[in-house]
Amino acid sequence: MPTIKNRTIPAAILTLLFLIFQPGAPSAESLDDRVNEVAHELMCPVCQGQSVAESNSNLARDMRQIIRKQLEEGKSKEEVIAYFVNRYGETILASPPPKGVNWLLWLLPGLAIIFGGLGIGIYLYRSQSGKNSGDSGKRAQKTAADSDYMLKIDEELKKRES
Amino acid sequence: MSILNTGTKLGVLVIIFLVLALLGYALFGDRETVKTSPLVGKDAPEFTLKLFDGRRVSLSEMKGKTVLLNFWASWCMPCRQEAPALEQSWLKYKDKNVVFIGVNVWDENTSASTYIEKFGGGYPQGIDPEEEIQVDYGIGGVPETYFIGPSGVITDKYNGPLTEEIIDYYVNRAAGPEKDSPSAN
Repeated sequence: MPTIKNRTIPAAILTLLFLIFQPGAPSAESLDDRVNEVAHELMCPVCQGQSVAESNSNLARDMRQIIRKQLEEGKSKEEVIAYFVNRYGETILASPPPKGVNWLLWLLPGLAIIFGGLGIGIYLYRSQSGKNSGDSGKRAQKTAADSDYMLKIDEELKKRES
Repeated sequence: MSILNTGTKLGVLVIIFLVLALLGYALFGDRETVKTSPLVGKDAPEFTLKLFDGRRVSLSEMKGKTVLLNFWASWCMPCRQEAPALEQSWLKYKDKNVVFIGVNVWDENTSASTYIEKFGGGYPQGIDPEEEIQVDYGIGGVPETYFIGPSGVITDKYNGPLTEEIIDYYVNRAAGPEKDSPSAN
């Protein structure tokens, strides 16, 4: 028979899940925030390394106006971005979409970290184990020498006693 | 004696190969698909311009004609450089079912009017009061020119100052069969 304690834990988990994933949660994002969010995802075509949100150029200003107008008309963020990609190409995107040769751009840093980490790890492990095996060899030699020495002492002591 | 073992060396070689392959692709790959605009081969976006003489003109009115759509500004030196070629070409083509339209962008009306008086341009020139046409056509700077065929499909885009020879080439491509593959300049 389930106790009160047994019922409380699942109820708490369910409440937590509901709070996290509650459907239709009212968005506190203002239109300005949404314009800014889209503008940050687009690069200014006439600027050096500036997004549409950051640039003060005439073109970036025009683009921000169009983003605002299209969002006001009810278009989604994806639709607004697609509008600009259809006119300026994918180079306008602040981060290249993970498809085709672009996958390399996304994978290479990760692969470099993994292979680099593995390489360093293997190198450190081998150098450490080599050092350890060298030490244990020396220790074994030393122990053997010590025991020989002790045996000789024992023999000498026995001779004297006799 | 080598510090790295064979496996690590292989890993490093693979990474170097991938980086070089990526660089090679970026520098030399996929040249055939490079276009000056993603709009080439698509229907030209509709627009209505307010002309400097007070009239209004829309692209839809030009259906059945070849259109040269030139974006310019009065402060732009290459625009001044191409202005005589545009004027001469317009005189040559104006009775041949070819329309020239000038779109003034990122400018002041007085400067633009003075420019037109000085550099000619008998063809319609105007601005988009909504200031949207430049983004609608993916303009990044001036001068930039679109060539639109009689069916309303963009056949080419040219970035930079035009000459009469360049205008002849692209106007003929636009006026001819639109099956021609789009080009890049």
